Amino acid sequence: MDCREFNDQHLAFVDDTLAGIELVRMQLHLAECRSCAKQDAKVRRALLLFRNLPSIEPSADFSERLEARLKASENDNLFLTTQRNLRRSAIAATVASAMMLGYIGTTLYSDTPRDLVMPPVVATLPEPDFAPITVSAPAIVTSVSAGLTLWPAAVFAEQVPIRFANSSLELANYTR
Amino acid sequence: MADIVRKKVVSVEGATVRERLQAMDDSAVVTAFLGGEERAFSELVTRYQTRLLNFVYRTIGDREKAEDLVQEVFIRVYRHLHRFDRSKKFSTWVYTIASNLAKNELRNRSRNPLVLFQTVQKNFQDEDRPLQFEDPTSRPDDMYRKRHLREIVEESVAKLPEHHRNVFILRELEGKSYEEIAEITDCNLGTVKSRLNRARNSFAEIIAPYVD
Repeated sequence: MDCREFNDQHLAFVDDTLAGIELVRMQLHLAECRSCAKQDAKVRRALLLFRNLPSIEPSADFSERLEARLKASENDNLFLTTQRNLRRSAIAATVASAMMLGYIGTTLYSDTPRDLVMPPVVATLPEPDFAPITVSAPAIVTSVSAGLTLWPAAVFAEQVPIRFANSSLELANYTR
Repeated sequence: MADIVRKKVVSVEGATVRERLQAMDDSAVVTAFLGGEERAFSELVTRYQTRLLNFVYRTIGDREKAEDLVQEVFIRVYRHLHRFDRSKKFSTWVYTIASNLAKNELRNRSRNPLVLFQTVQKNFQDEDRPLQFEDPTSRPDDMYRKRHLREIVEESVAKLPEHHRNVFILRELEGKSYEEIAEITDCNLGTVKSRLNRARNSFAEIIAPYVD
């Protein structure tokens, strides 16, 4: 072990937290290095002095003063909380009054007649009243001269969904 | 008569509660306080007032101010105990508050030289007062030697840089672990060890001429 390593480990050495083998190495170095041994003794002696400093005690009225300060601090807190709440209420009341006054002012003293705003009208398409075709109209069959018989088509139209059939099916009149 | 009996019962109950609180660890005392037992706070004050006073006094070097700061620590504890994370050690939390207050005090002093001057002057006046630490039955020359030595040690500690001194006091006077010191001073473990090593060596160097 060299002096640098000794210095690095010295904190743990003084605190007795070194592992066994490291401790032995430190002790060996101490035995062979006078400079490190001197430094070690100097630190230990200084620490001994510091650790043995007499303890100071709080003054006799420490507890009373603390109690008084705690009470004062509680009162301060209470006062501050009350003040804060009052301030908030005052601000809220002022804002509400200002808004109300503003509203009254604008409604009473405005010269220009305001447009009557009606609610939007939503137009809805009435549900068509569908009636199923129960009787096949002979006009359909007879009116189209396509060379094909239209009777199956009329049957088909009866079978498709009623809405579709009803909206697309029209009587054709080719005589006009 | 009934009043007297009732008072006696209350005092016996009070004594029991106090004794029970004394037997509890910090965490249990904190729980009792948060559960509405006001006497638990007095128990915490009793446990920590001297330790905190010594810690703050060694850090800032002004006895009266140290008492004020310790009182401030307890006021903060009283106000904010409900916010304390009970998974952590109460002592670490209290020392963190004390350490921060002491740091602020030193910072304020460095900004305001007048305060520093007043403090120094006050300390000079303090020297004229009889010391309460020494045994008055000792021989006068022995008392003088002890007093002189105490002053030298205190002056030597005061010469350490603030961040070294803080770590040094927490370790050597309060016996805190490196991990606790790291938490209190908000540093990592490596920094704590390095500062402590330097503080020890510096302190030894400063005090060596007086004690050799």
